[in-house]
Amino acid sequence: MPDTHFYRYDDYDRTLVAERVDQFRDQVRRRIAGELTEEQFKPLRLTNGLYLQLHAYMLRIAIPYGTLASHQLRKLAEISRKYDRGYGHFTTRQNLQLNWIKLEDAPDALAALAEVDMHAMQTSGNCIRNVTADHFAGAAIDEIEDPRIWCEIVRQWSTLHPEFSFLPRKFKIAITGSPNDRAAVRVHDIGLRLWRNEQGEVGFEVIVGGGLGRTPMIGKTLREFLPRDELLAYLEATLRVYNRYGRRDNLYKARIKILVHEIGAEKMREEVEAEYASIRDSALRLPAETIEAIAEQFAPPVLAERPAISGQVEAERLSNPEFALWLKSNVAPHRVQGHAIVTASLKPAGSPPGDASAAQMDGVADIADAYSQGEIRVSHEQNLIFPHVALDDLPKVYKSLAALGFAEANVGKITDIIACPGLDYCALANARSIPVAQRISTHFAGLAQQHDIGDLKIKISGCINACGHHHVGHIGILGVDKNGVELYQLSLGGDVDFGKTAIGTILGPAVTADKVVEAVDALVATYLDTRSAGERFVDTYRRVGAKPFKERVYAAV
Amino acid sequence: MAKNLSGDLQVASANRLVDGMVVWLDDAGQWTDRLEHAAIARDPRGAEILLERARAESFTVVDPFLVAVSEDDAGVIEPLSLREKIRASGLTFDAIAAEAVRYA
Repeated sequence: MPDTHFYRYDDYDRTLVAERVDQFRDQVRRRIAGELTEEQFKPLRLTNGLYLQLHAYMLRIAIPYGTLASHQLRKLAEISRKYDRGYGHFTTRQNLQLNWIKLEDAPDALAALAEVDMHAMQTSGNCIRNVTADHFAGAAIDEIEDPRIWCEIVRQWSTLHPEFSFLPRKFKIAITGSPNDRAAVRVHDIGLRLWRNEQGEVGFEVIVGGGLGRTPMIGKTLREFLPRDELLAYLEATLRVYNRYGRRDNLYKARIKILVHEIGAEKMREEVEAEYASIRDSALRLPAETIEAIAEQFAPPVLAERPAISGQVEAERLSNPEFALWLKSNVAPHRVQGHAIVTASLKPAGSPPGDASAAQMDGVADIADAYSQGEIRVSHEQNLIFPHVALDDLPKVYKSLAALGFAEANVGKITDIIACPGLDYCALANARSIPVAQRISTHFAGLAQQHDIGDLKIKISGCINACGHHHVGHIGILGVDKNGVELYQLSLGGDVDFGKTAIGTILGPAVTADKVVEAVDALVATYLDTRSAGERFVDTYRRVGAKPFKERVYAAV
Repeated sequence: MAKNLSGDLQVASANRLVDGMVVWLDDAGQWTDRLEHAAIARDPRGAEILLERARAESFTVVDPFLVAVSEDDAGVIEPLSLREKIRASGLTFDAIAAEAVRYA
């Protein structure tokens, strides 16, 4: 394997994944031969990330903490080309979904994944799912510590954890190492935020019971400061309390957020702390050398400091207005002077958000090799990130991305829409998401207009399960089915920024599919007419409330 | 063209086991990927029998179920629900596969 700046599988990992592929190959053989019924087989395939959707099987591939090496992305492209239809969908959980996998090919696809130390385990089922992280990890200028070290520790602890393989419901953990939360930690079952206390020690704020879905909740802080080496004991204690008291009688009340809500954060804290006290000094307390050994694998690439201003960038900025806009929206500061973090937008105007063809994946891998230390990240906002780019290389990266169709200068703007697959693919959905996103994206395609509108997050879900995170969109759009007609419910004011995390408020009656663009247009027009200097859409909404937005929308539709 | 939208007409559908593709049961008890070949039940009793037949022939498919359809004067059938229309006709937008050609 090429050298990477993140965790490399050891023999134990490889054996585990290889054995799982062999097991699944035999399970598929027995299912096709009729030796297993669907009832017997379904939990086995789901354990390996294989869902049956509307038109086909869908394989959800785990991308641990959203980190990929270029050779892994090329393998994903190869698998999508060989076993699927030549494209994939990057999800809001930093995973990749292939929508057209054949059951008979699934074991070969998993074997191909194993060749690059990847798998699809724990991307389904009532277990601890793939742990997500800040997509700028290891590069962010505001980072206290690389959260992926802890994601990897949690991954190793939770993989096939026998006690937590049959929880009341699925369980999602997100970790951020920065004060600017890019991992949405307050809307996860457990969110972990690394921070430094007054004594200069780094530890975790442990946030429990957040989540979106049918009953959106913002997580409660159970521990303000947890020493790092006690993380696994505290997680184990929390999961044990959830496993013991979480509701198994009602699917819709089975997530930990409901437990925390029903018994209250204080009682939850008491229970967790009591359990924790009994196990904190067990083998779950991590020895310093174990932490250090994993941390070493995340040692950042050695980047020499370079001038803070690049002549090439400045020249291109002056001669190319679109590049200038791209610098503003798609390029973020890096911890090492003279470098930057680049976001490749998987949201070109009118395209399905988060989709990439095999050719585009190969192209991104090539760019990563040439300009970003061979590393790529997947963001929960369904874009791809180059974490380590020298400033002087930005014009070349921009040009290469433009050739792939991924250089849209729209990150954080109105067309950088999060959307779930919706009713076009998903067996759970009630309404379509992607065509709605496409129409909004096409309507607001002008870059100058988008930059004038400023930061505005639209998030679209095709059902109440909220895979498109609509509850925390500045504008949230939820598709519902009413007597066979798709309607779209608008909500305003959602946010995942740390300290401002909020669930959006429903604006009023749902609108028909053909009126969604007009409704969004009316919301934007209200904002443009009402905003004060420097205010984002969501700031204006918070200041003036829903009334002017509501009046204009329902006058328009 | 007049359509029978009563919801009385039903076909049996499922996903094919080996590849997940959408299929319907035809009059000969075979699973077909062509909706126009689907056997149609025209009353509740017929629907019960059709579903039983589908379940009896489910060795190569997953979880058969009934789908309400309409039928026009020319005998063309179409699912009533959007979900089943999408299952029958595919994605309602151009998937990025087209883009793959553009950026190849």
